[in-house]
Amino acid sequence: MKIKFLISLAVTILLVWALDKRWTAGNIPIPPLGKFLAPSHGFWQNIEPRGYQLPEFLNLPGLKQPVTIVFDSIMIPHIIAQNDEDLYYAQGYITAFHRLWQMEFQTHAAAGRLSEIVGKSKDDAALNYDRQQRRLGMVYAAENALRSMESDPVAKMVVTRYAEGINAYINSLSDKKLPLEYKLLDYKPEPWTILKSALLLRSMAQTLNMGDKDMQMTNALKLFGREMLEVLYPDLEPMGDPIVEKPGKWNFEPVPLSDTIMALPDELIKITRLVTPDPTIGSNNWAVSGSKTKSGYPILCNDPHLTISLPSIWYAIQLQAPGINCMGVSLPGAPGVIIGFNDSIAWGVTNAQRDLVDWYRITFQNNQKEKYKLDGDWKDTRKVIEKINVRGGDAFYDTVIYTHWGPVPYDEHFRAENNRRHYAFRWIAHDESEELLTFYKLNRAKNHADYMRALDHYSSPAQNFIFASVTGDIAIRIQGKFPARKKYEGKFVLDGSRSSQGPQAYIPFAHNVMDKNPERGFVSSANQYPADATYPYYINAVSYEAYRNRRINNLLRQGNAITLSDMMDLQLDTYSIKAEELLPVLMGYVDEAILTNEESEALRLLKNWDYYYKKEAEAPAYFENWWRTLYASIWDELRSDSLSLAYPTAWNTIHLIKTRPDFVFFDDQSTPEKETLTHLVRQAFKKSVTEVEDWKKEKGMIPLWADYKDTYVEHLTRMEPFSYHVQHGGHGDAVNASSRRHGPSWRMIVSVEPNGPKAFATYPGGQSGNPGSAHYNSMLGRWADGKYFNLMFLQPDKQPAGSLFTTTLKPD
Amino acid sequence: MKFFIQVLYVVILGWLFSLFLPWWSIALAGFMGGYFGKSKANFTAGFVAIALLWFVHAWLIDRNASAPLTEKVASLLIVQSKTLLMVSTAVIGGLVGGFSTLTGSLLVKEKGRTY
Repeated sequence: MKIKFLISLAVTILLVWALDKRWTAGNIPIPPLGKFLAPSHGFWQNIEPRGYQLPEFLNLPGLKQPVTIVFDSIMIPHIIAQNDEDLYYAQGYITAFHRLWQMEFQTHAAAGRLSEIVGKSKDDAALNYDRQQRRLGMVYAAENALRSMESDPVAKMVVTRYAEGINAYINSLSDKKLPLEYKLLDYKPEPWTILKSALLLRSMAQTLNMGDKDMQMTNALKLFGREMLEVLYPDLEPMGDPIVEKPGKWNFEPVPLSDTIMALPDELIKITRLVTPDPTIGSNNWAVSGSKTKSGYPILCNDPHLTISLPSIWYAIQLQAPGINCMGVSLPGAPGVIIGFNDSIAWGVTNAQRDLVDWYRITFQNNQKEKYKLDGDWKDTRKVIEKINVRGGDAFYDTVIYTHWGPVPYDEHFRAENNRRHYAFRWIAHDESEELLTFYKLNRAKNHADYMRALDHYSSPAQNFIFASVTGDIAIRIQGKFPARKKYEGKFVLDGSRSSQGPQAYIPFAHNVMDKNPERGFVSSANQYPADATYPYYINAVSYEAYRNRRINNLLRQGNAITLSDMMDLQLDTYSIKAEELLPVLMGYVDEAILTNEESEALRLLKNWDYYYKKEAEAPAYFENWWRTLYASIWDELRSDSLSLAYPTAWNTIHLIKTRPDFVFFDDQSTPEKETLTHLVRQAFKKSVTEVEDWKKEKGMIPLWADYKDTYVEHLTRMEPFSYHVQHGGHGDAVNASSRRHGPSWRMIVSVEPNGPKAFATYPGGQSGNPGSAHYNSMLGRWADGKYFNLMFLQPDKQPAGSLFTTTLKPD
Repeated sequence: MKFFIQVLYVVILGWLFSLFLPWWSIALAGFMGGYFGKSKANFTAGFVAIALLWFVHAWLIDRNASAPLTEKVASLLIVQSKTLLMVSTAVIGGLVGGFSTLTGSLLVKEKGRTY
């Protein structure tokens, strides 16, 4: 052996090793360059050639009978199966084919397993996120959901077959066929389990139903007293237009509650929580009765507002088998259709907003935390050791204490600002629930009675379910598992040493807020307050929507001979009632004599503004800044590093500006001189004009609303080349609730007709999760332009028209 | 002539191996090309062979692409241009091809200059 040979061999091996390995430079991960760039194995293999199709036949193990999948021009699969078991298997397979990486990544995130993928990150962001997920009991919640899935034969079949389909796809993957993100981050998919479907559903519940302000309210109560609390944070803001208005017609006897007077807490809490609910997450839905439409058939519309990201949160699909012919959108990772229609009905959801989180103060016996006080006794805690694997490093072990109320997320080991006080976290979605059955039944529902039966299985996350049927019924039902409570119960932290502080009863489903065929000829919801003041149960929430709902109802009340295109206009409506109610008031405070040129120009634009957040409007940038600056300066006393306090809602702030211009909070208590609202409004105006001027200078552009807002559709890895900036109007307070990162994640309009539904829809993304596919963003452009796709709904035994290609899955 | 035969040998083996072996099978191709097809410029032959193979393969895929993933990855890996990404791909493959071919050629008893 020559030395030269050995050196050359060593260099070759070293080179291959280095190019096969993931590196990090600073904090930036570098994919294994050899593996990633090899045209035979790397990202090149993820580039779909023009006219790419699935093979005509695919042999899959575990199928019972052949399944046909017809793909239409926007790559929506229409699955035609001969039995339910094959139907969900095929849904799992084809969803994984388009979205595997996203499905797995989202469930890893839900379960607190991001560190496994990304390793140590800047400021330990990934590890802290993982710890938070574990400490909030996300896996505990998913395991409970799993238990109820497994106890029902139908739910179990659906979710098991779905998992088998996903696994059939995973098993068919060679290294070169791995989705792009696995190659970039250098890891491989693990087998899918039904727990992952449960995790996905719980992660949706976390997005929608984990908001609360109990600690902030407790602090406010202690600092300001009860009277001021009512002024700052009223439970019911009287702007009218609740979801269901039938005063005095709630024909049931409410569940009796004990009349012992509840002691309100008297404490200050220092915890900076990681999860804070985003007030711009909401949704719209409405259904118009045939009496108000041109065709005489009901029309149902739904646009859920979520974080707009890629791969898209929704996956459109049609499911056809004996007993089911249903189309709509699914959540990648969960079987069935979540929002959609079939040949008899259509349905949609918006978030019900209700406060479904409670915090119970815990007194541990000692530092060992093995026992806590309950009804005068010491009760055992349960310690769960969470092992968090960290890529390229040592595993992190975290001990989470569980009480019968739930886990204790914050303690001296995690966000220790709370002076060693402990609170147990009770979340309604920790409980067992069977929402999969709801969707199984809704997908097959024929009429209103079927819809009601389907909803009886549903407990979390609480939603406003809207409905329309081919027989002409329209309906809405706010469905969820809601504790029956006395006033203030659950608004503040609760005493965890007394079991009587737990919910004494739940509101019977028959007492939930609902309505069918109201006289006004439509039903609607936009995350507003659920019912008129005569509804006999106490209701509270982080916040209720104040503007979109009134705009929708105003236009629907006026509407007559409504067409599908009218409904599209309404979904795309950018009018803001908030601007209409606030801007004239603010302008009244401005002294035009002392304005700079820029300020005069801004004021002129604002005076001429029609309150529409159109793409090309200039005024909204000034209004937005003015309001944001004013809002922050009004409530700056509530900003505190050591104590968490909530800002009052926008609606209530505006209400106070109008009705109590000398309100104590309009004076900055930290300065000796008396400030007035006039002063604050003028100061905010000055500052906001300067900010917009700075923006103009920096960007070298006019602040057209679409540019200023800059809607950004971001890939889940936050990698910029896979993300898009789009030009789109709208605002969180307008029906088209598009903000920078949130907005209508699916726009659907369905005319429910006897010879088959007519459906129009779009979403900001595309069916494929692969950035190397033409269908990665094929709907994004039309979404941004406010256009819709005419959905192809296959009827059984009819030849599909307008399909792209067909694949047949055959039993292996 | 020997040089061209060696290049061809590595290209063909590299392509064949890539069908069923991991990406680094190009090193096996180079090694065999060096051992059996030794020329006067083994490193260059291996480099040219794999660089050519990878460049052409990448170019063919990109030419028929239905989505601009090449551009996106170019921007992600801060090389910006897609041509530059194809060249980088070729160079990385080429290096492995070059060194492995050289290694293969060095395994046999020296009959003269090997590189």
